[in-house]
Amino acid sequence: MADLLNTTANKNDNVTLVDALDKVLEKGAVINGDIVISVADVDLVFLGLRLILTSISKAEEVSGKSFSNTDKELTAEDIDYIKKLQKEIRKAEENIPKLIDMDNPKKTEQGLAKLVLTLVELIRRLMEKEAFRRVKRGSLSSAEIQKLGLSLKAVKKKIKEVQTIFGIEDEELNLDLGPLGNLM
Amino acid sequence: MEGLYLYCVRKRIDIPFPFSTKGIDEKHEIRTFTYQDLEAVVSEVSLEDFDSEAIQIKAQNDLNWIKEKALIHEKVIEEAMRKDGKILNLIPMKFGMIFKEERSLKKALDESYERFKAILKRLEGKQEWSIKVYLVDIKKFEQGIKEENEKIQEKEKEIASLPEGMAFFMEEELKEVVSQVTDEELNNIVDTLFESLKKHTSNSVKNKTLGKELTGRKERMVLNASYLIPEEKIRDFKKETEYLNQIMQTKGFSLEYSGPWPAYNFTSD
Repeated sequence: MADLLNTTANKNDNVTLVDALDKVLEKGAVINGDIVISVADVDLVFLGLRLILTSISKAEEVSGKSFSNTDKELTAEDIDYIKKLQKEIRKAEENIPKLIDMDNPKKTEQGLAKLVLTLVELIRRLMEKEAFRRVKRGSLSSAEIQKLGLSLKAVKKKIKEVQTIFGIEDEELNLDLGPLGNLM
Repeated sequence: MEGLYLYCVRKRIDIPFPFSTKGIDEKHEIRTFTYQDLEAVVSEVSLEDFDSEAIQIKAQNDLNWIKEKALIHEKVIEEAMRKDGKILNLIPMKFGMIFKEERSLKKALDESYERFKAILKRLEGKQEWSIKVYLVDIKKFEQGIKEENEKIQEKEKEIASLPEGMAFFMEEELKEVVSQVTDEELNNIVDTLFESLKKHTSNSVKNKTLGKELTGRKERMVLNASYLIPEEKIRDFKKETEYLNQIMQTKGFSLEYSGPWPAYNFTSD
């Protein structure tokens, strides 16, 4: 931290870099120069792709209806499916702490796993948003909601499990698209 | 052909002092150009290089180039504002202003003379300091909010009694509610902070917060403010900041200050 009674420069490098960009590029006095180097609006560039992504999946107005409008019974098939999903979720849940204990993430194969998982995670998020939209619209029966919710939860847990295997943090599930910023 | 890159304008100093930083092109020395009782801090640049399309393209696309040059610009001004352990008042220029010849720089200074004199008068005896607040421990902050919010607690009880698949949607929905409440509370806290720091200052600006891509930090920046502070109040400002930082840390935040800066944020009319 800068000491203010000491008037010599006393700002650490990181502060200086961030602030220099912040201040030098955006603020300061302007006078009519013959040549003006105009710098890209850094923020705008970074925001670009993210905006496109959010507008694709922008949630519809909440209808205000309750979660389900019909009370169809679960079929035997449904019950089987639900059981299977629950088993998958438990399996992943039990597996994750074990994997963490092993403390041996497969770092070497991390690169490819990260790429694939990132795309799966992106699709999962888009699906989840769509599922939400339908649930909120109130057009699904409680059996359907139950199935949909479990499916999404299963995928989420599975991604978490694979993440643990390869030692990939949540923040790492992303793609650096260079000047466009990050995918998610 | 050589032009002049302009860094800042200050009151004329009759005893010249040399700069250790090289100019924006990393070749030429920094020098001053005197106009009446003011002087402009400048350095020569090759017009062939700096008036080229290549530079304009770099300035639009090459983040590293932008960072490098912006840092040089800042370093020169940092040097220009320090003399014998004292902070001099000066007007920092925005990045990227070049004059084709001394004559056009002189003309520009002539046109802005009254404006510059007025700004320098306003800045006299004052310094710019920056405050940045980061949300360091988001879990701590959210936990604090959850504990005080009955609605969230009720919802959590309700979820516990639902079948798993339905609970999934409720959980996700609750997460949204929590993040909404968190955002509101965050805005309140940040506003209050910004206001309470005004106490010892004569002017203040709330700037847009910088993304993680720029700060290179994991924590989210929640406040980016600059204050213009009379020299004799700086000690109080620092005390206030440290006091507020202690309070904020218990809520999961970290408050950082830096300065003195060239008065970038206080040069407009």
